[in-house]
Amino acid sequence: MANTAAFTGINGLREIRRSPASHLAEAFETGSVQGTVTLNEGPFQTMAGVRVDPRSEAGTRIGSVTGGLPVRCGEVRGTDRVSVLWLGPQEFLVVAPEDAHDSLGGDLIGSLKSALGDGAGQVVDLSANRTTFELSGPQARAVLEKGCALDLHPRVLKPGTALNTEVGNIPVVLFKTGEESFRLFPRASFADYLGRWLLDAMREFASPEVP
Amino acid sequence: MSTHQLPEHPDFLWHNPEPKSSYDAVIVGGGGHGLATAYFLAKNHGMTNIAVLEKGWLAGGNMARNTTIIRSNYLWDESAAIYEHALKLWEILPEELEYDFLFSQRGVMNLAHTLGDVRESIRRVGANKLNGVDAEWLDPQQVKELCPILNISDNIRYPVMGATYQPRAGIAKHDHVAWAFARKCDELGVDIIQNCEVTGFVKDGNRVVGVKTNRGTINTEKVGLCAAGHSSVLAEMAGFRLPIQSHPLQALVSELHEPVHPTVVMSNHVHVYVSQAHKGELVMGAGVDSYNGYGQRGSFHVIEHQMAAAVELFPIFARAHVLRTWGGIVDTTLDASPIVGTTPVDNMFVNCGWGTGGFKGTPAAGLTFAHTIATGAPHKLNKPFALERFETGALIDEHGAAAVAH
Amino acid sequence: MLLISCPNCGSRDETEFHYGGQAHVPYPENPNDLTDREWAEYLFYRENTKGTFAERWVHSTGCRQWFNMLRDTVTYDIQAVYPMGVPRPAAPFPPAADTGTASTGAASTTPLSPSTAPEGATK
Ligand SMILES: Cc1cc2nc3c(=O)[nH]c(=O)nc-3n(C[C@H](O)[C@H](O)[C@H](O)COP(=O)(O)OP(=O)(O)OC[C@H]3O[C@@H](n4cnc5c(N)ncnc54)[C@H](O)[C@@H]3O)c2cc1C
Ligand SMILES: [Zn+2]
Repeated sequence: MANTAAFTGINGLREIRRSPASHLAEAFETGSVQGTVTLNEGPFQTMAGVRVDPRSEAGTRIGSVTGGLPVRCGEVRGTDRVSVLWLGPQEFLVVAPEDAHDSLGGDLIGSLKSALGDGAGQVVDLSANRTTFELSGPQARAVLEKGCALDLHPRVLKPGTALNTEVGNIPVVLFKTGEESFRLFPRASFADYLGRWLLDAMREFASPEVP
Repeated sequence: MSTHQLPEHPDFLWHNPEPKSSYDAVIVGGGGHGLATAYFLAKNHGMTNIAVLEKGWLAGGNMARNTTIIRSNYLWDESAAIYEHALKLWEILPEELEYDFLFSQRGVMNLAHTLGDVRESIRRVGANKLNGVDAEWLDPQQVKELCPILNISDNIRYPVMGATYQPRAGIAKHDHVAWAFARKCDELGVDIIQNCEVTGFVKDGNRVVGVKTNRGTINTEKVGLCAAGHSSVLAEMAGFRLPIQSHPLQALVSELHEPVHPTVVMSNHVHVYVSQAHKGELVMGAGVDSYNGYGQRGSFHVIEHQMAAAVELFPIFARAHVLRTWGGIVDTTLDASPIVGTTPVDNMFVNCGWGTGGFKGTPAAGLTFAHTIATGAPHKLNKPFALERFETGALIDEHGAAAVAH
Repeated sequence: MLLISCPNCGSRDETEFHYGGQAHVPYPENPNDLTDREWAEYLFYRENTKGTFAERWVHSTGCRQWFNMLRDTVTYDIQAVYPMGVPRPAAPFPPAADTGTASTGAASTTPLSPSTAPEGATK
């Protein structure tokens, strides 16, 4: 992870911050099957939980900070740096790179808060709430299908879709970022479980396929 | 233990009489509770001109579907009194009914997996002892000694931090219990009428005077409802309401195994309980399905969840197979205690709300409900369980002792 | 496993939902005026219908929104899904189109626009 001068800001705490699945990093590396399916934990991100009526004035103001608000389940809006995931009709997860965080020189949380102003709703800094897993490769879908009941077939699930659902019996926000790549957002306390669950589901792909 | 020989099956247990036009009392529901009530009405109160009406086959409801755990280690005085009375009756009934239904007092363990569980459990052991109910607190090592196949390592999601243990608790053969009661009822002159569904009631003002059935109307002085999961449906026919919700409750068995599991282990926290039946099947159950249901089936994820917990607690079960799963309809109340007593309709009485744990209560339910039907007044053991408690607020909250299932 | 059509997210496994019991039970307007009997009715007495039952569910692992549903408590067929605050739809209902198999949106009996069901949200 990048460790710029700005990052040392927060009373030196940034130095010792460890991601929820950092203890699995090596296992992810050895469990990945290059060209088939790979798994790694992504860098820290800035995340904000936003609750607002998208049709309200406050909703419009927030939308102008985030590059719009998604209007239906699955939709993702945003800009180059910011993604806004639909969690509910009035609930969104805003995800941006770590340095967008106000304590590290960015202004995402602050600008969301001032956009909300005294409008009805809330903006909560959730940057420590979830971690991100990147699962990709031609067998990524097959791995997920072992524990996710959604129809993940490309005919149905298109890149750029994010859904709040269950993977391996736990709640996960599942973001299909490319034809063969998925980003999973488990809550930090589930990161160990989901990481091991995914590794287990990937295991068969390390062996030659039985015709 | 498990290799116990089943007794010879008697060729003949009860007659199948045609319903008479009138009885002194009619019991609706031919499960364990209906049969036990009829037995004690005949034996203790001399009421033999009575009938048990069963819409299906005898004891084909929850009586056929339960996992037969019998124990009396409930928290409150009122519950300890009635369940312990039941346990004492279980100890003498095989002789009294002249039928060995294999009541096996192999002990029941209730595991604690959190500090909260531990506190709650130790409190309950104390309460049990004060009420004369045999109860012990076991540390994990003692748990392991009693049940060597249990995984007591720290390395599982919910480690075993101890258990309550009731040595006199155990299991029995549920079908045989029903048959034992049915045979005695028959001998005493009770009419057991199967395939006879109650479809309505005949009332004279606020007094019930008869029951309508698919086999005609039957006049009767008194009606006792013992319909478990269908209690609300019958109450509605009679014109009153019950604070009951009917839920699916599922259980399952494995194929037969050598004796590996010497006692009964229950865990409210991870939602599983297991015993090994006399023939050798592992018998397991979980919590209720969350939704209301009269379908006698629940959702598969409940079974999956219970199996996951079972395999973690008993790694040896990983190689066992699920042979059969099934569901019953249990009548749950908000305080997890039964409702026994009078109803807003004169001469109509109700025994219901035993929910996930009424098999163990069968003899005491029957004994005290028979008293209530015969005398029109509560028995001292069922008095606290009257319907009025939902108005007075004198609830008997047994969620801690009753939670998952029994 | 029930397959429940969330009005916002489309068909999802029952495990994503939580049950909320009987629908359309209003909080008493003047709780202080109630007799003990009436208060008991409000606190402890709910319908326990055998047949079509109006009940509440929340899509807890999805959009976290509550909605009402008509379900047969014997066959478990889901007959209608409708928003909170809307009165119970009148019977009879056409047989539900998608019981337990893959579907492409909210059930046809749903009085809500199925267009709210997104791509990829169905199964
Ligand atoms: C899976 C499962 C596991 C369980 N495990 C345990 C356990 O380990 N320990 C324990 O103590 N308890 C357990 N229970 C609970 C226990 O089975 C019940 O509390 C108890 O059996 C209820 O009393 P019963 O035997 O009279 O009920 P039932 O056997 O259900 O009897 C009610 C009868 O009423 C009949 N009936 C209904 N409507 C009508 C009508 N209109 N006309 C005529 N007849 C009608 C039904 O057909 C039924 O036969 C379990 C239950 C289930 C489902
Ligand atoms: Zn939803």
